[in-house]
Amino acid sequence: MLAVRDGDLSQLGPLFERYHVPIFDYLCRMTGNRAVAEDLVQDVFMRVLKYRSTFRDEGRFETWLFRIARNARADYFRGRSGVEQVSDDGVDVPSSEMSVARRLERDRDVARLQRALLLLRDDRRELIVLARYREMTHEQIGNLLGIEPGAVKVRLHRAVKDLRDIFLQLSERPSWTVTTGIRTT
Amino acid sequence: MDGNDRNPDDVKKVPEAFDHEEHVEIWDLLGDIPGEPPNSAAMRSRFDAALADEVAANSTRFRREVRRPWQQVAPWALAAAAIAVLAIGIVIGRATTQAPRVDPSLAELRQELRETRQMVALSLLQQQSASQRLKGVSWTGQIEMPGSEIVSALLDALTHDANVNVRLASIDALRRFADQQNVRVAAVDALTRQDSPLVQVALIDFMVEINEREAVPELRRLSQDTMVNQTVRDRARWSLQQIG
Repeated sequence: MLAVRDGDLSQLGPLFERYHVPIFDYLCRMTGNRAVAEDLVQDVFMRVLKYRSTFRDEGRFETWLFRIARNARADYFRGRSGVEQVSDDGVDVPSSEMSVARRLERDRDVARLQRALLLLRDDRRELIVLARYREMTHEQIGNLLGIEPGAVKVRLHRAVKDLRDIFLQLSERPSWTVTTGIRTT
Repeated sequence: MDGNDRNPDDVKKVPEAFDHEEHVEIWDLLGDIPGEPPNSAAMRSRFDAALADEVAANSTRFRREVRRPWQQVAPWALAAAAIAVLAIGIVIGRATTQAPRVDPSLAELRQELRETRQMVALSLLQQQSASQRLKGVSWTGQIEMPGSEIVSALLDALTHDANVNVRLASIDALRRFADQQNVRVAAVDALTRQDSPLVQVALIDFMVEINEREAVPELRRLSQDTMVNQTVRDRARWSLQQIG
């Protein structure tokens, strides 16, 4: 990135190659719409080109890049509904050793959880996406969002609790014992 | 974060922070929500096209900003002006051959001629048409003692011009400046960036001609890289034997 900042735009291609997958994954999970996520990835890297002079050596590039991705998404959805809804049958879960019945049950739970995730408040969904799928530590998330790691931990806990509540509201069954062992309280 | 610098333990730490089993299991089930694979090839081509547009727009904007009044004159008019100045110079030159001492105005005319040629060359090098830029490279050869602007313009053509012929011509034109350190450094740098086999071979020959030892690591890399064109690899291998 330092080379790009100093005018070597040929290095932008390798940066795109390395980072477009995690940025796409983040945007896709946040928006629930792959076409929008693809557009936003383009936007993110054009912003990298445009604002390259603002990159500072002392900061982590990934944090800077995700900050740009957050802003791009926020700009896109300003004045629009935040996420696309997905249907229960839209999820393709990898097969496993489970029996067919259990696997179907598990697939339904996963699809329901995916819907619950998209129904979750935007800021809480983002915490889960960053921690669970982008595998960021509390400290990295804190740097990105401008909050203390301790606050990240508390908010993440709250986000998972809210997610579970929405998941259970979407469940038709009173318990969830068959596939996951989680019981309603 | 990008998959290369991740600590796998980081992910496991998060569920440990939860105090309810239900939360841990929600966390576990989240892992079963698959990510959508991006259409990387299509995205990359779209990005490359957007990047090329952006770079071209920036370049045009930059050229417009730095263009001086004389650069807005058509190249043919500048060429005509240069020829006129040359003719005046010849006439005055003949008139003064009988004189025992050198007329100061002759030196002044020569200087003007040199500057006019330089203007024409620089102007041609900034044209949209590749053939005009080729003429520009050619014009630089007619300039006695060209200034640093010309050398910079040729190095810029070598590094950034989209046309292979212009890049090749610029290597030929830069040969006369091979004693300049910045030219040698830029040529080695260009060798690391060029992907056209023709330009790569021309640059390798240039490195041999000037016996540029700084190019040895890059020449070694080219000679060993199986992704590089076979002719280029052979030429690089040959050049390593030539550079002492």
